[in-house]
Amino acid sequence: MSFSVMLTGVGGEGVLTTGVLLARAANLDNYYVRGVQLHGLAQRGGTIPTFVRFGKENEVYSPAIMQTDADLILAFEPLEAIRATYYASKKKTTFVINDSPYMPIYGNLMKLSYPTKKEVLKRISPFSRDVFMFKASEMGEKQFGKTLFGNIIILGFAVGHGLLPLSKEAIRKAIKATVPRSVDLNLKAFESGIKYGKGIEKIID
Amino acid sequence: MESEVLEKSGKTVVLLGNEAIARGAMEAGVGVVAAYPGTPSSEVPVTMAGIAKKIGFYFEYSSNEKVAFETAAGAAWSGVRALTTVKHFGLNVAADSVSPVAYVGVKGGFVIMVADDPNGWSSAQSEQDTRYYARMFKIPMFEPSNPQECLDFTKKCFDISEEFEMPVFLRTTTKVSHSIGSVKLGKIKSPNRRGHFEKSDRYYNLRPKLQEMHQAIDKKLDGICKKYSKVFNTIEAGKGNIGIIASGVSYGYAKELMHVLNLKVPLAKVGLSFPLSTEFISKFIKGKKEVLILEELESVLESEINAIAKNVNPKIIVHGKDILPNYGEYTLELLAPAFEKIFKKKLGINFKKQQKMVKKVDENLPPRKPVFCPGCPHRSTFYAVKQVYGDNAIYAGDVGCYVLGIFEPYKTIDFMISMGASLGLAHGISRVSAQDIVAFIGDSTFFHAGLPALANLKFNDGTSPLIVVLDNSVTAMTGHQPHPGTGRTGMGDITEKIKIEDVAKAMGAEVRVANAFNQKQLIETIKEMRKMKGLRVLVSRGECRLVTKRKFEKQGIPLPVFEIDPEKCVDCEKYANTFACPAITKVKDTKGGEPKYEIDPDLCLGCGVCMQVYPKGAIRVKKVNKK
Repeated sequence: MSFSVMLTGVGGEGVLTTGVLLARAANLDNYYVRGVQLHGLAQRGGTIPTFVRFGKENEVYSPAIMQTDADLILAFEPLEAIRATYYASKKKTTFVINDSPYMPIYGNLMKLSYPTKKEVLKRISPFSRDVFMFKASEMGEKQFGKTLFGNIIILGFAVGHGLLPLSKEAIRKAIKATVPRSVDLNLKAFESGIKYGKGIEKIID
Repeated sequence: MESEVLEKSGKTVVLLGNEAIARGAMEAGVGVVAAYPGTPSSEVPVTMAGIAKKIGFYFEYSSNEKVAFETAAGAAWSGVRALTTVKHFGLNVAADSVSPVAYVGVKGGFVIMVADDPNGWSSAQSEQDTRYYARMFKIPMFEPSNPQECLDFTKKCFDISEEFEMPVFLRTTTKVSHSIGSVKLGKIKSPNRRGHFEKSDRYYNLRPKLQEMHQAIDKKLDGICKKYSKVFNTIEAGKGNIGIIASGVSYGYAKELMHVLNLKVPLAKVGLSFPLSTEFISKFIKGKKEVLILEELESVLESEINAIAKNVNPKIIVHGKDILPNYGEYTLELLAPAFEKIFKKKLGINFKKQQKMVKKVDENLPPRKPVFCPGCPHRSTFYAVKQVYGDNAIYAGDVGCYVLGIFEPYKTIDFMISMGASLGLAHGISRVSAQDIVAFIGDSTFFHAGLPALANLKFNDGTSPLIVVLDNSVTAMTGHQPHPGTGRTGMGDITEKIKIEDVAKAMGAEVRVANAFNQKQLIETIKEMRKMKGLRVLVSRGECRLVTKRKFEKQGIPLPVFEIDPEKCVDCEKYANTFACPAITKVKDTKGGEPKYEIDPDLCLGCGVCMQVYPKGAIRVKKVNKK
């Protein structure tokens, strides 16, 4: 078994950190981990996808995910979810999307409009077996005071809904190791994400 | 985010390729590390700067790569293990010293880590393939394929360098440096940073001894090849008479594709790419009908393998750049069709069809190109320069965050070639054209390669272009490293600042210093300087706002946040589109009326320049930002 997760969003949204957190959790679950951070110039307000792949040592070699081959795409921004379809397919891929649109400045300059939620879902539909899109940033801000907790809520949702084959314990440990400054709130956000994923508590969509 | 680079020996952790290189150097007991930051190599020095004092090695950010290389070489001559790290272009800067150091050799192990950047993730200028340098300078080159090998190879490289008394290259590409993976850690060795330089005629690289030295290098290379080819190059046996030879990240792609296609073909991995062992290649290609070479960028290995095949197996068909590109990066989806064709297997995925579908859903999406951050002093300086010089002046660009000025709506960078090149190019144009020219250069870049060009302008140019130093007081682009103008060293020690205005004055320039966040002052100064003749330098000084934000946060001081008064913001769209701050966002298009704009308090970093640019009273201070 090998499992490929793509995390994507906009520079500054914590994509890289969440990717490292996930990779560490997979390592703690004794998986062999490979992945790659695609950043550079694009870090400043640009798209920054991260790939995390894990499995048995003799089953995971490439740091990058093959086109169409992502099992799970965690998108912290809807436009970037659409752009991630390159790595997605109807057969394999589930999307969890933070419905927190961030209009790029060039959209205004070029007089393009930001797609509505309906349009986002419609565009992604041919590339997904399942899509979950909800206002994780808003939920993070309401419950924990910062939109950034939306990332951990998304991660918790994926675990709670059975979309990510990693143990809760490993993710908790990885949270402690990766975001030591606000461990308690992040752990709470993770637990709350799990509840949303299990349907115990209702998401804001 | 805390790195796990200092975790205990025996533990398996997840590291970035570059972090693994840093760990490998520490496990080898490196005593001196000197670098100028350059992505995709930057994370090696970034990782090491923060822990140098804790582990006990010496670390410095040097003023450029050549000086960094020489610093490390000097330490290695004195018997201390040394590391320098460069991006591909950085090696061009150091190159002048590299070849002679290869001739005279070293005493302490000396590793030159160089990161190429196919696809230009972090580099605009070219897709240079550094493997040619190994051949030109006659320096052995080792190429890890994953983070574990990044650690292991680095460690071994120090031993080999010391054993053969010659510098060695550790070469990565972006996908190796920025890849993450499970890494088993070894023991960090207590560094030796005390050495002694012994006078010796080994450093006399003059004829007729030069020819002896030249022969000696070839002998060393032979020795390394004989002893270490079998350590770094491996053959995995398989069925059939078609084989694969792969190097770097391509090895991972080959293994992955073999796994998904259920292929069990012979596979050779090249970890020592120069000198390429004739014996190793001969053994692998003997008796084979075809071989597929997987290497990103130029056909370096392929050419050498073709030459070897002429003697050993002249009938073999060597595939490589006949079916794969010599530009960009390899990907699994790019390689898969080549595998399907050569090995007659079917993966069952129609990549082209899916790409067409993706292209369709991507249509008319607002593009997310990189932009100046909210609060960026460069935006403000460029805005002011454009008010005075308009669209027709030539804007000579250089290397730093300000390259983003190449995009709409600024268009204040017409070209960017290399570090410091804006001054020389502007000078060249001004020798033959009477056009208005403004040359931009950053503060770190000014110290890196601007000084000789400035001297040349004074020396040769009576009517120099206007030089604008975009001084944000840090090497921002690569992750906020210090430089000679910041008053802080790579190890965090306080040092005397070199002031750009003092240097420029000493070179005979007329100098003005303006506050980069003050539009009125900027515009008045630029107008004044436009009329002046001779060497003139405007230092537009404003700290990178991300640094300011961190400083304020540390001290618990809130940054001011601004807001728009929609009643007073007449023609707001025009300003939003020409000033282009990402914190000023369009909230809605009112039917038929003007779109409304808002300042996002989460994004605004309180530079206050918008208030000066927009119509009077349209923007005001909002409240205290408690983040």
